Amino acid sequence: MSSDTALRAEALGKRFGLRGGWALRDCSFRLPAGRVCAVVGPNGAGKSTLLALAAGLAAPTEGSVTVLGTTPAAARPRVGFIAQDKPLYPQLTIAETLRMGADLNPGHWDTDGAEQVVAGGDLDPEARVRTLSGGQRTRVALALAVGKRPELLLLDEPMADLDPLARHELMGTLMAQAARGTTIVMSSHVVAELEDSCDHLLLVGGGRIRLSGEIDDLLAAHRRVSGAAATTPLDPHTVIESRVTGRQLTALIRPAGPLPGDWRTATPSLEELVLAHLRNPGAPALTPADTADTADEEEHAA
Amino acid sequence: MVEYRIDRHSGVATYVQIVQQTKQALRLDLLRPGDRLPTAREVVEATAINPNTVLKAYRELEREGLVEARRGLGTFVRRSLGATPADSPLRGELEQWADRARAAGLERDDVAALFTAVLDTYFEGDPT
Amino acid sequence: MTATLSAPAPVTTAPRQIRWLLRLHRPAVYTWAILVVGVAGALLWLWGPLTDAAATAWHDYRTTCARDLPCRYDQDAILRYKDVYQYTTAVILAVPFLTAAWAGAALTGREVEAGTVRLAWTQGVSPLRWLAARLALPALLVTAGTGLLALLHHVAWSAGEGRIDTAKHWYDVPTFYSGGPLIAALALTGLAIGALAGLLTGRSLVALCVSALSVAVLWIAVQMSLPHLWPTVAGVAGRGRFPTYSGIKVEEGIVTSTGAHVPASTCASDASAWCQRFNDQRHAAGFYVDYHPYSHYWPLHLVPAGLLLALTAVLTTLTFWLLHRRTTGTPTKAARAVGAGRGGATGAAR
Repeated sequence: MSSDTALRAEALGKRFGLRGGWALRDCSFRLPAGRVCAVVGPNGAGKSTLLALAAGLAAPTEGSVTVLGTTPAAARPRVGFIAQDKPLYPQLTIAETLRMGADLNPGHWDTDGAEQVVAGGDLDPEARVRTLSGGQRTRVALALAVGKRPELLLLDEPMADLDPLARHELMGTLMAQAARGTTIVMSSHVVAELEDSCDHLLLVGGGRIRLSGEIDDLLAAHRRVSGAAATTPLDPHTVIESRVTGRQLTALIRPAGPLPGDWRTATPSLEELVLAHLRNPGAPALTPADTADTADEEEHAA
Repeated sequence: MVEYRIDRHSGVATYVQIVQQTKQALRLDLLRPGDRLPTAREVVEATAINPNTVLKAYRELEREGLVEARRGLGTFVRRSLGATPADSPLRGELEQWADRARAAGLERDDVAALFTAVLDTYFEGDPT
Repeated sequence: MTATLSAPAPVTTAPRQIRWLLRLHRPAVYTWAILVVGVAGALLWLWGPLTDAAATAWHDYRTTCARDLPCRYDQDAILRYKDVYQYTTAVILAVPFLTAAWAGAALTGREVEAGTVRLAWTQGVSPLRWLAARLALPALLVTAGTGLLALLHHVAWSAGEGRIDTAKHWYDVPTFYSGGPLIAALALTGLAIGALAGLLTGRSLVALCVSALSVAVLWIAVQMSLPHLWPTVAGVAGRGRFPTYSGIKVEEGIVTSTGAHVPASTCASDASAWCQRFNDQRHAAGFYVDYHPYSHYWPLHLVPAGLLLALTAVLTTLTFWLLHRRTTGTPTKAARAVGAGRGGATGAAR
């Protein structure tokens, strides 16, 4: 059952309703185990749909998603999930919520781990969930997810409506969880807050995967270049975005070979990379995992 | 025990910041041989950075022979760095020089630029 | 440095869903308990003291007022019997509506609406087992409670028969429904309707209304089809007389000279001179009434109850199927072909 792949999608698509639009279409990617993966994209790009499919809360319309080497349904006991609005039962106390987690996840509940997450927020275990603030709810939801001892933790916009301090604390808790070996997938529409925490990126735009891979590899595959507009041929390279100001040309490219010495080049920041791809929906996608692991895939299929 | 402060806007890669701050602590004698570095878990809980970044920094320190990982126990300091404890004579000389520079009317940025230029001349090619 | 996760211990105990189902729906459990205990108590009171007091009052009435002697009887006892009988009957008849409304609003509708299903379905319990617990426990409690109340109602009603002059006949509609298994079957169907409506609409208020309304429509359908679910018996009489019957009249008509029964909407007796002439013209030999006597009481309860249980089973299966398709459904053949045929094209630009 164990696998070095935490999450894999193959031609994954999801349409809501018979005549509804595609929330997600033709998505293929592979996320190795042990990574902290950012699912980035504008609102309505399909991030929540992708996470719901992985969590086994929705069924794909086409294609398939493999979670921890098996189906989302079979992986359910090993996957933690927190929905964007952090649903909890308002009438329960925090302590009751955790006891419920223990009762519904028999055999692999981590009482200490869950209580530590709650204790980190200085919360009264006897407080009712309906009296909690947004940040406190997030913490309880996280405690419930962490108590499950998940191998994969799926978080939909965990940082939304949290104050900066709560964000930092929550991210610290998540990273401590990652240090224990848990693969973490979190969606966000704010790139800056993920840059130091995540090492893998899934950029979703218009229901499709635009970029997928290790953040370092993705950054290394792109260059921000500038040079004289008249003498800078971009032809052999994949151009994500280019702009001419006066005689100056600046561009974000995916080099196909060595770059001429008279260009000024720099590695783009993650935010620059993401924004350039989102501004240019026509730019080709880059999903290295998609092509690099076909052998691995066959092995799983066998 | 050393505590890392990560500056997101410094332009320096996060793992390099950890390496630099560890070395700084070694130079200032805040970390001594036999001391244990914080675990990746402790670091990331406080700084909210990716654990692999911490591990990468520790591997770098290990490669340089400054620390060693002992399985199941943690990462320990093997040797100290340089001979510039906080009260060394070199530091005293530098303080005197800084005093003279201020008396001569130099501002903080002027001093920093001067210092960096001299550093670049004498320590060219050294790893940071 | 990275501690590897210790392999989860093998699951030895089943998830304790029931405990949390009871906890989450504690107000409903308490309400149901109070309702059952309260109505059961009232029915026991009706069965014993109230029936006896009312029977005594009626006896006094018959031996005084009815014989033109000065009236001397306990009118309050008779009214008290009537009130308690009506109230308990009304509450029992409300049970299917209450069950359906609760199931639609609170059991599934609110969970979908508030998003807590996404919490429940990502624990170590599959959505189907979640639904199974959510249907089984209420079904058990509703069957037990409603069954007890219907039994007590039947017993209490029987105790007044022949002793209380204004006691309801067995075929009085409220009395009939509240005193047998049919009411429990209606409540169970209401539960299934509510659970499905809540899951389908995902809106607790909408599901509440839809479920309650569906039970009303279903009940009307049961009432209309009830007489035809069991063979009737015929009461026959010659010309100039009325067929005698007691129970639920289903059909009446004339008996022809050949002995055949022909339904008649007018003049199913020689009640007037005009009818007499009319029946002469059509050569009526007599009259008949098809009806259900009291001996059909149990078949008339059990047959529709069985049909309702079958409907409940269909609705429940539909609910499970729907939930399975929504959460873990398998992709269609075409989709699988797309997945298999995936080439390098997926990485290319749109």
